Formats: sequence, C-alpha cells, structure tokens
Amino acid sequence: MNFTVDTPAVLLLLPLALLPFAATVLSISSYPSLASIPHDRLSLVMDIGLRIAGALAITMIIFGLAGLHRREQLVERVGKGANIVLLFDRSSSMDNSFANRLPSGGEVSKSAAARRLISDFVARRPHDRIGVAAFSTSPMPVLPLTQHHDTVRAAVAAIDRPGLAKTDVGRGLVLAMTMFNENTADASRAVVLVSDGAAVIDRQVQATLRSIAARMPLNLYWLFLRTKGSRGIFDPPDPRQPDMPQTNPERHLHLFLSTLGVPYRAFEAGSPRAVEQAIAEIDRQEMRPLLYFERMPRRDLSHLCYSAAAVSVALLALAKLAERGLTGRSRATYRPALTLASGGKRG
Amino acid sequence: MDRSSRLAEGVAMMPRAVRDFRFILLIAAFVALCIALARPSWTMQRAAYDLLLVVDVTGSMNARDYVLDGSPAPRLDAVKRTLRDLIAQLPCRSRVGLGIFTERRSFLLFEPVELCDNYPVAEAAIGSLEWRMAWEGDSRIASGLNSALEIARSLDADLVFLTDGHEAPPLSASGPPPFEGKAGEVRGLLIGVGGNALVPIPKFDDMGRETGFFAMADVPQENRMGLPPADASSRPGWHPRNAPFGGEAPTGNEHLTSVREEYLQTLARRAGLDYVRLEDASRLDAAVAQSASPRMIGTTADLSPIPAAIALAALLASYGALPIFRLRQPRPGSSHSRNERMAQ
Repeated sequence: MNFTVDTPAVLLLLPLALLPFAATVLSISSYPSLASIPHDRLSLVMDIGLRIAGALAITMIIFGLAGLHRREQLVERVGKGANIVLLFDRSSSMDNSFANRLPSGGEVSKSAAARRLISDFVARRPHDRIGVAAFSTSPMPVLPLTQHHDTVRAAVAAIDRPGLAKTDVGRGLVLAMTMFNENTADASRAVVLVSDGAAVIDRQVQATLRSIAARMPLNLYWLFLRTKGSRGIFDPPDPRQPDMPQTNPERHLHLFLSTLGVPYRAFEAGSPRAVEQAIAEIDRQEMRPLLYFERMPRRDLSHLCYSAAAVSVALLALAKLAERGLTGRSRATYRPALTLASGGKRG
Repeated sequence: MDRSSRLAEGVAMMPRAVRDFRFILLIAAFVALCIALARPSWTMQRAAYDLLLVVDVTGSMNARDYVLDGSPAPRLDAVKRTLRDLIAQLPCRSRVGLGIFTERRSFLLFEPVELCDNYPVAEAAIGSLEWRMAWEGDSRIASGLNSALEIARSLDADLVFLTDGHEAPPLSASGPPPFEGKAGEVRGLLIGVGGNALVPIPKFDDMGRETGFFAMADVPQENRMGLPPADASSRPGWHPRNAPFGGEAPTGNEHLTSVREEYLQTLARRAGLDYVRLEDASRLDAAVAQSASPRMIGTTADLSPIPAAIALAALLASYGALPIFRLRQPRPGSSHSRNERMAQ
C-alpha cells in the first residue's frame, strides 16, 4: 500500500489543522467563576471530541485538495502462460494465398490468415509476455517482450502489409532467441516461427544458433504455412534429386531445428483451418505457471477525504445547533445543552 | 395548540445558532463538501495526434555528425533520442506507429497504438531501431517517401519521415521519380537529419563489424540509367553511342554525406508536407502541433477541488475569524476571556 499525493505543496497548509485546538466554533458565554462549575468528565470529552472533529475536517480537506491517492501498483500474481517471441516471415510470398495465387474473392493471403489467427491467439493469452520480431532479407526486432498486448496486436496487424524480398530464417532465429533476457527465467520460453518457406542457414549462423540453444532453454515451434504444390517439411526427398539444403530447404531446416537440442515441434498448415489447429496446439502446450504482474490502477482517495470531512463538519454543525446560552437572552428558558444533557453540566 | 406552542418554542430556540455567522459558515462548508462529493467535472477539448514515424535506416544514417552526451553519435542515435523525447511530449491519447525505410520502400513495424498505455513499449521499439534492419543498401528516398505516404494514408495517420536526403544510387539526370499521390492528402513532416558539412559514412562487414569508411570508388558516383544529362556532350571522351555519359569514370562526393536540405524541401513541397531540421524535441513537438491534423478528444477535468477549497476557507473562517477579530480589538482581562472559553 503506498499512498501519495499529487501536489505535496498543498500539505504545507496542514498546520492549520491545529486551529481548532486554539479557537472554537462554539459561542462563548461569560460566567463569573469557573470554580463554581463542578468537574465534569463528559463535558471535557465533548470539548476534546469537537476539537478533534474540527482538526480532522481541516486535515481531510487539505489531503483531499492535495489529491491523496493510492499509487498504481504492479501486483505479482501467478497465472498460466509463457514468454513468447513471435517471429514472422515478412517475405513477399506470404502475400499470396495458400494456393500460391494473389488472393481473390473469398481467399485470404497467408499473411492475412496468420494475422487474424495470431491476433486471436494473443487475445486468448492475457498473461503472456510477448515479443515480436520479423525477418526477410534481414532480421528486424519489432517489439521487445512486453505485457502491453495492444502494441503486440498492432505489430501483428502490420504483418499482412506487402512483404520484402527474401527469407533469411537463420538470422531471424538468432534474433528471436536472443530477445529473451534474464527476467524470463521464471517461466517457459517459446519461439513461434511463422513462415511459408525456408532458406539455407549459413554455417556460422548454424553454430551461433546451436550455442544459443545450449545456453537458453526454450521451446521452438515452427508454424509452416505450406503452399499448395510446394515441398513439405515432412515429405521424403525426391529420389531423383540430390537431397541438399539448396533443393529442399524446408526439410533441411526442419532437420537442423530438430538437432538443436531444444524441445521443437513443427506444424505444417496448408489452409487457414490447419493453421488454427496448430495455434490451438501451441496454445495448449505453452500453459505453464508464470509469474506475471497485474496492474492495480491508481485509486483516488480524495473523495474519501471529503466524506470524512463532511461528517466531521456535520457533527460540528449539530453541536452548534445544540448549544444554549447560560443567560436567557432569548425568550427560551435555560436548558442543559443537548450534547451535555445526558448527565453533563447542571448549571 | 400544543403543536403550535412547541413550534413557537422551537423558533425561539433556533436563532441562537442560526444568527451566529460561524454556524452559517459551517453549513456552507458542509454544503460545499457535499458538492465536492458529487464530483463536478468539466469536459475540455484537447488535441491529440495520430502519427506514423518512419525512420531512414540506410547506411548514411550511420554517419557521425551529431554530438550526444559529449561524444560523436550517429544520425540514427540522434533520431532515436529525438523521437523518444517527442513521444514523451505528445499529449496523452495520441497514437504512434513505427516504420523503417530503406531501399525504395517503407516497412511498417507496428500500427499506431495509444501512447498513454503503451509508452514503454513504443519507446523500447524506437530504441531498438538500427541499421542492421535495413534489407538493402539502396536509399531511394523519393520512392520511400511515396510508400510511407501510402501507408500513412491507409492508417489514417499523419506522417513524420526522418531522413538525411542522401539518395543512393544518385538520382538520374531526369530527377526523382514523380510524386503520384494527391498533395496534401496526408499531412505531416519531413525531417532533415544530419549536419551541413560532408562527413564519411562508416562501412560494415557481413558480421556487422565496422571496417572503415566508404571511399570514392566504393559507391556509384553517378547514375547512368536513363538519358544522359544535357551537358554530357561537353565531357571528355563523349561519344553519342559508345560513351553517352563521357569517357571517364565519374568522380564526386557521393561517398560523403551531409543533409540535402534543398532536395528534401522539394520532396516535401510536392507532397504537401512541411520540412524541418532535426532540432531538439521541443521544437519538433511544436512542428508536429503545427503540421499534423489534430484529433479532438474530450478530457474531463475534475472540478471538485474548487468546492473543497471553499469548504476549507469557510471552516477556517468559522474557527479563525473571531479570534482574529478579537486580537485586533483587545478586550481588558485576558484571564476573563480564558475563563469564558473554558465555560463555552
């Protein structure tokens, strides 16, 4: 619980709260001798109580004016989720439909399908820390790991814009894997690679990937958006052709990723429906305990202050209503004051 | 009868408090507090902006002609610093998207997001911009600006395009590609980055290590696509068929860079954008306010402090007015008045 005020300068008025102990709102009557008044504890309590009420009213209004509030806080909670880096292929082939045509009519492009389904995926996982990276000819960090899912959705929304030329998946993976930092050690880490093709990974980059995978425990998912007629990742190689990374980059990327030594799964999706199933599977896999921070919004307490002050002022006003003079200047005969009536001063 | 006599008695009893100004002040304080509790508020119209920031990340942006914290800094670092300051100064509920430019296109990284909630992420994303994101070495700024305008139009945002105006390869003799959009359809700013003096451009190898600076022979000094310039026939070794651009290798300063203000001003004018130099963010903030189209949003201002302050004044007056009044008119017998107070 940390309470704070907006304008601390207003608190300089606080000494004014001592005023009720020096002055009174009640009217003063002359009386010849105090010694003739019997000692009365109830009157004393009333007196002190009303002074405190006055001091409280002044203090509370000052705190209210200063804008007393409970600060916005991050509360640590345990939920289900993961640290996820979404790595998107932004090469121009992603703009084609699954049938490798420019999308027409009811067809959707691969990137548009991925965009919609991954937006849903993000929306279903409120506690995740999600980062976004993209690659085409070069790797591009888009967003660091964050819980601000609005921005994540904005970045996912940008993936169906026209893409760039090539597919340098190796460096993209290096980038995605190095986006996890020490803060993510408490929960599972996952890289979700979304691409519709693969490319040969440079030998140096392969070595880098292996060393990162050895240092950084993470789960790797490859959502392969397979275009009709293209080679799949699980297909046996064509016996009439040499089985090389250059001829079958998808198959060889899959083989390479399975030797990285990290938990790895590949999903081959040839239609938006299959993409949905694959994403549902990743969703299910990446549900492990995760410490996340929930934002408790700032809570304004000035109205609480004003209500306390209002109650105090009301008490003072009642006391004021109840007061009676000792000498009957008015026609009313003297009666014990209401506040003192129950056994108080008998003048 | 009975009731009316009681009423008369009540009326007779009441005036003592009611006639006392302190009671009236207390009631005033109470009423003012009740008004404060009703949360009076006032809706104001304030401007917010939807901006698409597009940053040139081509090689020339690595030239170090800025000074940050006392040491030379690349243009890109100065741009990042300025943009962070800019988004910190934009009014709340403004939205900001980010894109990069190289080759001949602008590339959207994320669509505009609301700044109040997402400021830390937007700030981190700006901080992670770097030249390695560039997918090609070319820097065809006129085309890049066209595509940035197109993206901004589709997002219904205003454009802030930051570049040094260094075209690579150099423009052909026929000048930059035509502007195809409607001038003024997208509003915004073209911001010139870089100093006026020519500085060398750092060179990097495949692994991203700096290996020196570009030399004259490393970059094309002249664009020999298209028609030759009109004065080509006066060049040494010129031949209309075999050497239409002259017979010698071109020389020039294309391997050095400075901000090309004139060129950028031309580009800005024909696209209906405003041009400014990259200055400190406070001026950039003002430039954005001037050039971008504001989106009016209603913000509610809490007015409850006003009645609360009145309540405080009334309360203090009810306590303080009489003693102050007495202090100014001292009455004889201070011990007497003390007795009075005790007796209330």
